[in-house]
Formats: sequence, C-alpha cells, structure tokens
Amino acid sequence: MNKILEASLNGEVLVIKTEGYLNKDLGQDIQNAAQEHITNGINQILIDLEKSNIVNSIGASIIIELIEQLQESEGTLAFCNLAPIIEKTFKIMGLTKYCSCYSNEEDAIEAMS
Amino acid sequence: MKTYGSDLDLNEVYINLKSQKKFNSVQLHFFNQKGLVTSIGLENYFSGISAPEKVLNAENSITLDLKDSLSSSEMKKFEFHPHRYAWFSFIHFEQKKIGLLVLPSANKPTSSNKTEINSLRLLIEQQLQLSHLKQEIKKTKKELSDKTLETESLIDVTEIINTQKQAKEQLFSDILIMILSIMNASKGLVLIRDKKSDFFNVEALFNLNKDEEPKHILRITKGVLKNLNDSMSSLIVNDPENYKLLNFAKKNCIVSPLESNNQLEGAIILVDKESRHGTIRFTNQDLRLFDSLCKKVSLAYDNIQLIDSLKESHKLVENIMSSITTGIIMINVLGEIEFVNNSARKIFSIDNDDFLQNHYFMVFQNNPNLIELLEEAESQNEIIFENNFKIDDLVGTSHEINLTLSPAFNEDNERSGIVFSFEDLSNLNKLKSTFKKYVSENIVDELLKNETSLELGGTQNEVCILFCDIRGFTAMSEKMKPEEVVYLLNNYFESMIDVVFSNNGTLDKIIGDELMVLYGVPLKQENDAQRAVDSAKQMFQALERFNDKIANEGLPKLRIGIGINQGKVVCGNIGSERQMNYTVIGDAVNLAARLCSHAKEGQIVISKSVFSKLENHQGFDEKDPIFVKGKTKQIQNWIFNA
Repeated sequence: MNKILEASLNGEVLVIKTEGYLNKDLGQDIQNAAQEHITNGINQILIDLEKSNIVNSIGASIIIELIEQLQESEGTLAFCNLAPIIEKTFKIMGLTKYCSCYSNEEDAIEAMS
Repeated sequence: MKTYGSDLDLNEVYINLKSQKKFNSVQLHFFNQKGLVTSIGLENYFSGISAPEKVLNAENSITLDLKDSLSSSEMKKFEFHPHRYAWFSFIHFEQKKIGLLVLPSANKPTSSNKTEINSLRLLIEQQLQLSHLKQEIKKTKKELSDKTLETESLIDVTEIINTQKQAKEQLFSDILIMILSIMNASKGLVLIRDKKSDFFNVEALFNLNKDEEPKHILRITKGVLKNLNDSMSSLIVNDPENYKLLNFAKKNCIVSPLESNNQLEGAIILVDKESRHGTIRFTNQDLRLFDSLCKKVSLAYDNIQLIDSLKESHKLVENIMSSITTGIIMINVLGEIEFVNNSARKIFSIDNDDFLQNHYFMVFQNNPNLIELLEEAESQNEIIFENNFKIDDLVGTSHEINLTLSPAFNEDNERSGIVFSFEDLSNLNKLKSTFKKYVSENIVDELLKNETSLELGGTQNEVCILFCDIRGFTAMSEKMKPEEVVYLLNNYFESMIDVVFSNNGTLDKIIGDELMVLYGVPLKQENDAQRAVDSAKQMFQALERFNDKIANEGLPKLRIGIGINQGKVVCGNIGSERQMNYTVIGDAVNLAARLCSHAKEGQIVISKSVFSKLENHQGFDEKDPIFVKGKTKQIQNWIFNA
C-alpha cells in the first residue's frame, strides 16, 4: 500500500520511487533507504513521488531531516512527479527552498548530474 | 529551585562558551525542583546530588571555603579537588533560578574573581536567552506553517467542493485524502447513507487493510453512527476497541457527521494520528480543526443534495410544462417574459429565446388587446378569463384562444408576476375536423364534452360492424378512365358516409371499394345493431339517388352488398408510432366481412347476434345456415332484400 517501489542508483544519483501515503512509516523507509547509500558516499537523492498523491507533515518533516543531513555533506535532494497538492504542502512547510522539483526523472537526472 | 524551560538547549550554550574559551575550570549545574539534572564541564557526568546546602539557600553569588563547607565525599563528588575555594553564582532565566555556575579556585577568591564569575553568568544568561529565542522562532515558524497548512486545507476543501464536476465517489475520496493528510491521520473512511435501504455504505476509504474494511451492515442505530446521530457533532472515540467499525485502531479515532436537514447522512472517520515517534492520540485541538473541515464538507454535501432534488423537481416541472397542451407564459413583476413552455412556443410560433427577458409590450406588440388585458391583470389581484380571444402569433397567423391570466405570488406572498395560460382553439378545431373524418359531429362533440366516454386505449367492447362493398367494381373500373374511377368512388363514399354519420356510426376504414363502419365505439350508444341496420337500409336508398345522378353523367350504376355482425372485439389505437389508427380487431370483424361477401347485390346479410337485438325485424328472412371461411360451425343468417 505505502511503500518504496524501487531504490536504485542512476549514475551518482539515488532514485527512490514510492507508492502511497508519504507518512511517518514511508518517510522512515525513505530515510533508511537513503542512509544505506549515504554511508557509501552517495549525496544526491531523487525522490519520485509519481505514485504518491498524499503526504502528511510527519512524512514531510522526515524529508526535511534528510535534507539537513545531505546538506552537511554538500549533497542535494530533489523531487520529481509531484502532485500539485504535495507540492503545495512542501512549499508551505519550507521544503522547496532547499530542494528542487522536476517534472520527471529524466529532467531531474540531467539537472543533477 | 524551579525547573528551567525544557526547550533550553543547555549543551549548546556550554559548547558555545567553550568555543569562545570562556571556561577554564568552570562547572555548570542545572537544577530542577528535585535537584541536579545536568552538569556540564565535568569530566564525569553524575546526577542525583544536591548542591551544597549553603549554596542553595544563598540569594546570589557567594564564595565558599569548600574545605569548611563540604564533607570530603561531597568534595570528591563535585571533583572540587584540588581546589579549596569556589565561587557559586546562580543562573537566572525569566527571573527564576535555573542553574548554578561554579568557579573553583585553589586560592582564596578575590573580587576580580567575583567580577569574572558575574560576567560569565551574564554571558550564560544571554546565551540562554538567545537559545530560547531561537527555539521560539523555530516553534513559531512550525506553528505558522501548520496554520498555513490548515488554512490552505480549508481553502482546498472549498475548492474541491465548488469545482466538483466529478462523480460523488471521487469527490469524497479527494476530500478524505485532503483531511487525512492535514490531520496527520494514518487511515480514514467516509460513510454515506443509502437513501433506499437506510444503511451506510463506504463511499471512500484510505490506507485500510482488507481485513480492516467494514464488512457488516452499518446502521444509524448502532455503534459510532448512533453516537454521531445522538450528538450531531464531531467526537473523539477513545475506546475504538468497543466499536466493530473501529476496532483496528491503535490509539483513537475522530469522527464527524455529515448532515442534511438535521438527519445523519454520512460520517467522516479518521483513525490514529501519526507523530515523528509513532502513533499518538488525536487531541481536542485536532478535533477543532477536523470539525471545522467536516462542517464545510457537510454543508457542501447538503447543498449537493439540495441541488440534486431541485434539479429533479425542476426537471419534473419542465416535463409537465412541456407535455401539456396548454400554453404557459410566465411574466415577472417587471413585465418581462421569464418562461415559455413548448405549447406556448408552438401557438405563438416562437422559435428562439430572444424574447425571454423582454417586456411583454415588445413581445406582444401585434396584439394590443392582449397587452390591454395583461395591463389589467397587472393592476389587479383577480384572475382574468377570456374565451374565444383572437391573437396573432409572431409570424402573423391568427389563432383563437381561451385564456387565463392569474396573478403569481412568491413565498412572502408578494406579487411576483402573472401566469398567462391559454388553450389554442384552432387546435381543438383541428382535432374536431380530424375526428369528423371518422365519426359524426355529434360524436365529436359528445367526446369532447365527456372525456370518460372516450375509450381510445386497448379495451374489449361489444361492437356492431358493418361491411359494404361494390359488386363487380374491379371489372367495371377496368373499362373506365382512372380519373372517372376516383370521381365515382369519392362521390359514392361521400353519400354513403353521410348516411353512416347520420346514424352516429364511426368510419373505421375504406379498403379499395369497401367500407368498414363501427357502431358502439368510440362512444357507446343505445342499440348499435338497429342503427347499423338502419344505416344499411338508408345506404341502399342513398345509392339509388346516387345512381340516378351519375347515370346523367354517363357513368355506370353501382351495386352494393352489405354484411353486419355484432360481437366482442378489441378496440384501440393500433399501428406503429408513425401511423396509428383507431380500429377494432377480432373474430366478429371477420364474420362481418364474410357475411358481406355472402350478400348478393341489393342484399343485407345479418348474423344472429344482430337479428336478436333488432327492434324492427321487418323484411328480414331467415335463410339456411351457411359455411364461411374460418368457421367450423354453420352460421345462422337473415337476409333483407332492398
């Protein structure tokens, strides 16, 4: 229902694709998946939210923590395929100031590489 | 000692000061009511030890000779060795003592030590203030973004509702997702009452496992729905385990009614609130926002219901208005045309909506008499009737109408305009002339006067059927010019039908040179058999006159034979939608046709059913029973020779 569909490297970028409610549990899953790669030196993460059309503030705050962590290693976090309602929530919660949003994975990878 | 603010980051203060090399061997102790909670600047962390009694009782900074004041074990605990003296200074935050700064010294402290410790204390207090302010700003920022999200969610809910073009299920699904995410809920569902069964159906659900979905019948008389129905306000359910619908919840649920007309129409249910550290309970604060969101949804749902029922009744009125033959024009209080039904459009030859919202003065400018009447109607509260009123439609054709002008009133009983209703008499006349082709004018009038006697539907009736055909006409017509045949037949039928109508018969149809006439439908009359026989006899007399007339024109004489039978037949409008005729079908019709074939020229052949009903049997002779096609039994018959 709410899960990570895929977490794989596209070049130097870790692409995490999700499905369902980006809440505490899915946020935590993203955090864990990212952690594994961060320890291996990856500091570029792209989260593809195409199949997630709902987020809550807990999920968003976990993402903020991840952004903070990446900033320490001069890394970046980006999103693609955001539903308008999620984009709005991210904007209000201040996420979009510290990360970029792309319309699709291709655009994102091109910009991040 | 008072507790220091829990949001103070003491460690941050210490690290800050240390990085500024403000400490040498300074110790910082923070207290709450019970004693020491944290010490910074010591190698070993320790807790649960109270500061020296003398220190705690001091007002501000004091200096102590440790050796005189403390026991050796206390000295050891505080790691004051090898210092003999210590300056103690209280750290204040918001005018409360929240900690203790200790500056140990091997030598007897001097006043410069006092200045040093005081400036250090001030610095710490400033740092604490700063740290506190930073925390406050962070908190305010978070609150602000939460409030923005809440406000946005209210706007979003309004938008979803107002721009809803999608199906109701999608609407509720969108609303559920919106509310669920803003409330940080784990799961949620929307229930809506089914109008037919009164059970509640799941209209939308989110994040529920298969085994968490409700499978039992949800009624207003049980469980959470009952609670909602009783309270009609949003509730926190802190014992979800006691409800079949919610027993999968880990913590608690918030539920809100959707109501219309004070009746529970549905419910929005959210299950388990999420936090950064797991599932928590919804609070009253959450309930407040949830309630206001759901009230909006409820109001919108009520509106949707209202609009639906309005649309329905509007459609009903529209259907009625467009199906009736009475023309209806509504004129508002300003004299503008507001509504025109189909019949009115037809009668006035109106083919577009241009005249809507135009003053009746403009629309009916060709009808000064009508304008005069409308003006009269505007100025009084009485209903005005006019019969046989002449109007010209918009293309200049004259009509005769019966009209009614009734004042219209709104809910507050204030004058809201005029209802102008009218019957087109030319329609009525058309109807008459259509019917007149088939029945005598007497019957038309009778039918129009007395609708109950009109049986146009499929009914079974006792009917007397007369067939009359011309003997040898086919052979005769072959020798004539086509226009002579038409002329001859038209004149012949005219004189025959005159006879039929004068006896109140109904012309059913003309088949080639054959006439089929009915007595007893569509209007039941007395002694149909006698009228049929009288018609037949008169038809021979009329034929004689007709033959005399055409002989003068050099045309051949016609000879006819007539058969009459009476019996039960099915009457009604029979045919397809394109062509429908009022006629009768049944065995009795066939027998009448057979008797007609049996009749020789100049003969009327009748069956027993006709003979038995005749008041006047004169001239009829009983003949031997005959076999007719389609009948196994022989048929009794009587013949009249004209």
